[in-house]
Amino acid sequence: MAGSMSLTLSFIATFSLVVCFAVSLFQMRYFFSKYEATIGNHLLLSTIQLASCLFSFLILIYVFLTSNFDFQIVYSNSHTEKPFLYKLSGAWGNHEGSLLMWILILTIFNFFYVISNSSDIKLRNKIVANQSFLILGFLSFCLLMSSPFILLKENFSQGLGLNPILQDPLLAIHPPVLYLGYVGFSLVFSFAIGGMLNNKVDKEWASALKPWILIAWIFLTLGIALGSFWAYYELGWGGFWFWDPVENASLMPWLSATALLHCIIVLEKRDTLQSWTILLSILTFSLSLIGTFLVRSGILNSVHTFASDPGRGLFILLFLAIVLLFSFSLFASKGSTLEKSGSFGAISRESGILVNNWLLLTILFIVFLGTIYPLFIDLILEKSLTVGPQYYVTTITPIVFLLLIFMTITPLVGWTKGSINQVLVKIKYSLILSLTLAFAISLYFDLFSITQAIILFLSFSLIITTLFSGIKFSQNNIFVKSILGKTLSHAGFGLFILSVIANATYSEEKIYDAKVKDTLELNNHQFVFEKVNHVEGENYNSIQAVFSLLEDNKTVKQFMPEIRFYDDPPTATSETSIVHGLFSDIYLVMNVPQYQDSISVRIHVKPFMNFIWLGVFMIIVGGMFSIIYRIKN
Amino acid sequence: MKNKIIYFIPIVVTLFMCLFFFFSLSNDTSKLSSPIIGKKVPEFSLVSLFQNKENFNSSALYSKTPKIVNIFASWCVPCRAEHDVLMLLSKLEGVEIYGINYKDDPIKAKNFINELGNPYTNVGIDEQGRTGIDWGVYGIPESFIIHNGKVIYKHIGPIHISELDDTILPILKDLK
Repeated sequence: MAGSMSLTLSFIATFSLVVCFAVSLFQMRYFFSKYEATIGNHLLLSTIQLASCLFSFLILIYVFLTSNFDFQIVYSNSHTEKPFLYKLSGAWGNHEGSLLMWILILTIFNFFYVISNSSDIKLRNKIVANQSFLILGFLSFCLLMSSPFILLKENFSQGLGLNPILQDPLLAIHPPVLYLGYVGFSLVFSFAIGGMLNNKVDKEWASALKPWILIAWIFLTLGIALGSFWAYYELGWGGFWFWDPVENASLMPWLSATALLHCIIVLEKRDTLQSWTILLSILTFSLSLIGTFLVRSGILNSVHTFASDPGRGLFILLFLAIVLLFSFSLFASKGSTLEKSGSFGAISRESGILVNNWLLLTILFIVFLGTIYPLFIDLILEKSLTVGPQYYVTTITPIVFLLLIFMTITPLVGWTKGSINQVLVKIKYSLILSLTLAFAISLYFDLFSITQAIILFLSFSLIITTLFSGIKFSQNNIFVKSILGKTLSHAGFGLFILSVIANATYSEEKIYDAKVKDTLELNNHQFVFEKVNHVEGENYNSIQAVFSLLEDNKTVKQFMPEIRFYDDPPTATSETSIVHGLFSDIYLVMNVPQYQDSISVRIHVKPFMNFIWLGVFMIIVGGMFSIIYRIKN
Repeated sequence: MKNKIIYFIPIVVTLFMCLFFFFSLSNDTSKLSSPIIGKKVPEFSLVSLFQNKENFNSSALYSKTPKIVNIFASWCVPCRAEHDVLMLLSKLEGVEIYGINYKDDPIKAKNFINELGNPYTNVGIDEQGRTGIDWGVYGIPESFIIHNGKVIYKHIGPIHISELDDTILPILKDLK
């Protein structure tokens, strides 16, 4: 039987959540216009919401850090010998804990919204009400079906550990960052609801909303990037994106958020596209919810899926249905009245942004279809079917062509009415330069596929045009601050596409059966298998193979891929050994040795990986610059 | 006014999606074919649910006599329904059933076996479900007939007593 200490902890943590539940219920009355609260009132109550959830979350962390195995969640997910960081991250590395974190982040966004000088009182009332409604929904799920504070009847002195593949510092911070993105869009959603309820969706509304979109978007981008970086060096599959359903689930809100990020600019500057903005806001948050739903319900079996319990899936589905039907009904009744007839010409920046919006949504639709289609076929035809990367690559590539073209041109076209000549004048030199570059590179590498040459040309033109127009040579200031963020992000995207293509074209991999002293060759690289070491780590033993990379018969680099054996639970993980070069990563992975005298080792040569990460980094930093610029002005 | 209709499209789409998800959630996937058939069993080493037994390794399945691998969990209701059939099967001569306890609490799994009887020669704990993924689990219970380390047959869902006579036993007989 659990000790009195544990009983108390469990009780106060749960009680604290009940307090938050009650406050949130109370806050929901602001949905009705007859109630209006002053800022002080909101400040107090949102602080209570935040504090109660934070308190309960801290208790969860405390029981993890003290390895209190009276708690079911700690027993199932932790171990006394686990390093500190992973005891900590164990708190949110499971279904119940991550749900509590989701709620905590909801209250954090609610709190920061209230303290951030929100001048429109009517809007604030509605937003607070809607945020509280969301908090309430997830809290009910947490309290009724997945409480992290359930105690065990039996006594245990040791826990069952955590999946060792998840014992990685990047993975410890990946979920919180991703959640900050997902949940950040709850506030965007609340803005949409508030705007519709108050019949006020205008420039002012857009200005207040835009920084929140940016913040959530930055976190989401960063979260996805961290996850993919982890997959690259930990999973040892030699890639960074696998079109896994759960990865897709995070990509979909990103695509719709990116569309939203651009169309809010049109609303802010030109006071048009109201209902489109509202629709995208709702869509982005719904996709975040669907992302959670797909992962949590266990409909999709994947590395990411936590415990599959159909009851939980049903609850999330019910909640999703309520949220969506409520918001889309509101949209159906209010959408047409919100629209203002701001007109713009066929050739104008507005049109360009709208076209790019459509392109992003087309990619979103393709990804959605690929993720859902196997489920659909399974349901209707009772056949199993897998959608592979080939589907995504072939369908998305042509759209990326168009996306690159419109990203290059749109920022150069004037608002409301522009002309093709105006663009051509600005773009001609960079076009000539990119054409030359693309041609030279294609010839030099002797790999002349039309598709690749076109993508090469298009991404070069995006990068060069963006940089040219971003840089204005004035005396003190090389960059014009207001468009620094955009310049960085757009050029980063160009670089990203460019490197992805180059990487896909020039990647090589080969599998060898190697004995000690063997020499392996791949693409002019020579690897000598030197020896095998046995290493003892903090909570694992490992077998380490040592390979030397030779150049002119001299060792230039050493590779030490490992297989780690964990005791609790007994699992083996493969640690890849990567040497990062400026232009190319070399990547060695070994398989779990069987009863044999050779080991099986895979060698990958992955060119331009650094530039892929650099591209993503530039996209994120660009977003940050935009935020900083907005806050300063 | 006719433009107003497009504002209702999201609701319609949402309704369809929710219905679709609802049916997916309760979808019976027992008729799925599996790519694992004819292949070697995935490599694994799982801690035994029984304290006095060694780990349950894939090497245990490399044998001339056919083995049955049953993936189950205490939270899974159809597993309960199937258990009597497994008990019956285990009493037949020369049949060994191995269990993989999928995404379950080991204590609950033990209670489950204590309560309903133990048809298993050994049971491996697969709490995180990683081995289950390697076996290509869609929904449990699932049972596999293994011969010389190769997957011969896969049964999704609970084995009904009639299926025992119609399919499982004839396959076992052929292999012997």
